[in-house]
Amino acid sequence: MTLPEFLLLLLRIWGSIGTVVVLIFLAWGIDRIDEDAQGAYVFRLLLVPGILLIWPLVLWRWWQIETERVAWFDRYRPSRRHGPAILAMSAAIVALVVIGLNARQYWPKDIVPVQLSERQ
Amino acid sequence: MNDRPFFVGYLPIPGPLRLFLGAIAILLIAGFGAAGYVAGVTQDDPGSGAFRFDYGRQTVTGVVELVPYPIVHVVEGNDRIDPGDTFMMTAGGKSGVDIRAEPLSGQLAQVSGIVLERGDLYMIQLRGGTNGLQAADGAFPQPESEPLGRWRLAGEICDGKCLAGAMRPGRGLAHKACANLCLLGDVPPIFVSTQPVIGDEFLLVTGPDATRLPKRAYDFVGQYVQVEGEITRHGSLLVFALDPETLELTP
Repeated sequence: MTLPEFLLLLLRIWGSIGTVVVLIFLAWGIDRIDEDAQGAYVFRLLLVPGILLIWPLVLWRWWQIETERVAWFDRYRPSRRHGPAILAMSAAIVALVVIGLNARQYWPKDIVPVQLSERQ
Repeated sequence: MNDRPFFVGYLPIPGPLRLFLGAIAILLIAGFGAAGYVAGVTQDDPGSGAFRFDYGRQTVTGVVELVPYPIVHVVEGNDRIDPGDTFMMTAGGKSGVDIRAEPLSGQLAQVSGIVLERGDLYMIQLRGGTNGLQAADGAFPQPESEPLGRWRLAGEICDGKCLAGAMRPGRGLAHKACANLCLLGDVPPIFVSTQPVIGDEFLLVTGPDATRLPKRAYDFVGQYVQVEGEITRHGSLLVFALDPETLELTP
């Protein structure tokens, strides 16, 4: 499997799970956690792209609200322990640029055309 | 009561925050400036290729030949295109002119359109329908070809239209996807040699035995390669029939 095929596979898996979450959440879940959404349907179509993209966050928040595990305000605040991730991603961007510049090809101007056989 | 300084846009900046704000402002300005400079100096020169709308519409008469990409050997030129020149053709967008040219193979035709020019390389983007390419009357010489032997060249496979000036940059890795779309649309492919081959830097590139560019070559488009193949002169144009089995990336 090539790298592009692997990335496409990951995208398909992410999108497939997202589709299932979209169907379940918009058909059933949203009515359970947001009483203002009950009886309103057209706007749900607008949520489809966002849920496809960030379905883990949707599931997390649904679970927080459904179970009432934490205080009301904290149900709407995702975990913010991502300082190391910020540093790692910042370093990764710099590293990617440096690696990319080193891996790039340079115009092989010194390779001259070579005639291998005479005209036939 | 919290005594920590608090920034409000329409009030004077609290003393302790001035140093922080100044440092961030300088770092941001310097950082973005440096990033822009690095991005700029690492880019390749896009070259001088361009649509030559300033030349106006060019109309010439010549003999159509399929190699298998259609080329025209100019019989009756104008003040910009000389008789004896040989050039390639393209349609608007990412399309070639094969369907229009195939019925006129080996015949005299009137060609009309806009020139794309990059150094010694030029091609014509035809006008729509028969306004761009139509049969013409008159006597004409049959085009001849001259085999020039087998060569090993280094350089890059590009789509001729973008390379000649339809895009800037019209070559290189960043242009690979665009180039492959053009080639799939039958735009003639060009091999850019690292150094002139019998005086020419740009060669029309085909598959072996006058076939179209082989699919294997599409994976190498936009990258720097070494490849062997047969070169044949058609009029003033060199045609490089590459051997796809010899394609390899340069170090």
